[in-house]
Amino acid sequence: MYKRILLPTVLILIAALALAACQPTATPAPPGVQTVEVTRIVEVVKEVPVAEKKLKACFIYVGPIGDIGWTHAHDQGRKIVDEQFPWLETAYAESVPEADVERFLDRFIVEEKCDVVFTTSFGFMDGTLAAAQKYPDKIFFHCSGYKRAPNMGTYMADFYQVYYLNGLMAGALTKSGKIGYVAAHPIPEVVRHINAFALGVREVNPNATVDVRWIFSWYDPAKARQAAEAMIAEGVDVLAFTEDSPTVVQVAEEYTNKGQPVYSFGHYSPMAQFGPNSMVSGQLVHWERIYEDILMKVYLGIYTPKNLENVDYWYILGQKGVELGGDFGVPINPKFEAPLKAVKVTDPLLGEISVYDLVFKRLEQMTDPAVLFDPFTGPIKDQQGQERVKPGQRLSLYELTTIDWFVEGVIGELPR
Amino acid sequence: MTIWDQILSALRAAVPAAAPLLYGTLGEVTAERSGVVNLGMEGMMLMGAVVAFAVTQATGNVWLALLAAALIGALMGLIHAFATISLRVNQVVAGLALTMIGTGISGIMGKRFIGMPPRVQLKPVPIPILSDIPVIGPILFNHDVLVYIALLMVPLMWFLFYKTRWGVSLRSVGEDPATADAMGVNVFRVRYLAVTFGGLMAGIGGAYLPIVYTPAWIEGMTAGAGWIVIALTIFSMWDPARALLGAYLFGGVRILQYRLQKLGVSPPLLNTLPFVFTILVLLISAGETMRKRLGAPAALMKPYAREER
Repeated sequence: MYKRILLPTVLILIAALALAACQPTATPAPPGVQTVEVTRIVEVVKEVPVAEKKLKACFIYVGPIGDIGWTHAHDQGRKIVDEQFPWLETAYAESVPEADVERFLDRFIVEEKCDVVFTTSFGFMDGTLAAAQKYPDKIFFHCSGYKRAPNMGTYMADFYQVYYLNGLMAGALTKSGKIGYVAAHPIPEVVRHINAFALGVREVNPNATVDVRWIFSWYDPAKARQAAEAMIAEGVDVLAFTEDSPTVVQVAEEYTNKGQPVYSFGHYSPMAQFGPNSMVSGQLVHWERIYEDILMKVYLGIYTPKNLENVDYWYILGQKGVELGGDFGVPINPKFEAPLKAVKVTDPLLGEISVYDLVFKRLEQMTDPAVLFDPFTGPIKDQQGQERVKPGQRLSLYELTTIDWFVEGVIGELPR
Repeated sequence: MTIWDQILSALRAAVPAAAPLLYGTLGEVTAERSGVVNLGMEGMMLMGAVVAFAVTQATGNVWLALLAAALIGALMGLIHAFATISLRVNQVVAGLALTMIGTGISGIMGKRFIGMPPRVQLKPVPIPILSDIPVIGPILFNHDVLVYIALLMVPLMWFLFYKTRWGVSLRSVGEDPATADAMGVNVFRVRYLAVTFGGLMAGIGGAYLPIVYTPAWIEGMTAGAGWIVIALTIFSMWDPARALLGAYLFGGVRILQYRLQKLGVSPPLLNTLPFVFTILVLLISAGETMRKRLGAPAALMKPYAREER
């Protein structure tokens, strides 16, 4: 009930904001084209309850929907909105090579008659922009990129806060002081996550290190296993990763069951069942939150092919776009409650506190609408010991999305 | 951990990493020896993987799973054999079609297994006495049964190829089917058997992933292993013993790249090494005389029809 009242209010507010932002000259309403624009939008809003309007949303995925990772999570989001909105029809194409996206976009627009197309890989960015220019009356949304157009917006649900929380736990649980990270590709998103993770680790365990291995693939279970095993052989006993399969979790579970405890943090999808004895927590995503919002606004006529130039979604803990845990609703594997409560740290503001409590305190602070805490708050030094963030300052969204340096404590070079 | 321990652990890790490649390569070597290229490796391995996982979930028995994977691989091999031997379809096209079919069907079949942990999994079985030998013991004799079987297949196949009548028939069919036919060898039967056997091995190689190496069903989980097998077959110059060498070289390089990354060795560069070797082998074997000496089957990719003799 609450949601039903809230949504239209928010929508109207955003509509007003969007209009104000996109057409600053239109608000004082001088006679001209812009005024016509505004009335048209209002009319569409009125029409909605009466007319049997349908909307078709199409999704272009870079991987198979069965990857238990990125694409799987996007498809879960698609399924949820598909069921939720009776007026919505969806279609998707999976495993689309990045070079082929324009061909798929043509097909979706021309043959499938899609009204809105979502493209869910960074590499789809230029192809999506080209299609947006080719079909100016259709709406496009591109995930994880930065290029926009009047009919093309961008969106992203980001994990950096959750990685930081995982890092706190990793720092508390490591015995060797060596923590490993199996990383996909050296792009800002992954670098940001490694950094956030390392910041968490070093907050509770200032001497611990985070060793990084690049597998140069978003999805390759065999490589993930080999990278994880290589680090375990060097004494690493906690693993986090960016790769779209539960392999790292399984490797950790194997070693743990053999009597050599190695702990892990799941990535993207609920992976708890792959590591019941060894997976501590993880990162989960709710793409449906973003899809709901976008599609509802398109349906209501708030988003049109003319006003998306400044529409950029950045959903983090505060927007409930992401969640801490290895399974929905389970932030920390109960097996690790006692070990995490046993480790105490002293925080300048919170005093002596167990890592378990610290995790929930930080979670609460970051979920707060005012975002009372951010992992990327200075002083932060880079690998060379140079101060990159001044005390008390936070990295801006732009700095976060373009980050290309490792924080202190990360081992390994950033391939360029 | 000392450097020595590191080297040991890398060598040990290379053995299971190479196992699926070895199965696939031995299969493809057999098929190509009879004169039929099968580019459907990736598809057959994926089908083997998904069927193995499905049977594991249904029965909780890995051996049944393995049998089913071998059968589905063999069935796909048989389809390729029918298309290329009986219908004399272009082998490259038929093989690619097989890969597409395998990728697609395995994806659809596997939908319900996404996110499921396996009910059972093959565990390493150290071989009593042998695994106690220093150095070699832990590297070679502390693995799962499928690794041992793969290792045993190598001398067995070498023996079959070079020391038995059956091997002579197989090789002669791949070199000069018309003459083999005149000598009384049933060309069609030999080719059918070789291609079907190739599929069977691919099925087992694929099954190795979900029941041992990366225990779960993940769509497209072979991630290109089938194509590496094709390269390996050329690298091995159609010889089972060299297939062993090649598989461990490819496996070893993949293991090494994560151990050397810390020292600043570029992984993509290291990753290309096996392919560079393959190209070198191809270059060397390109000359007609070298080609004969290195043993590329002369009738490879040439369909055989009796009436055209």
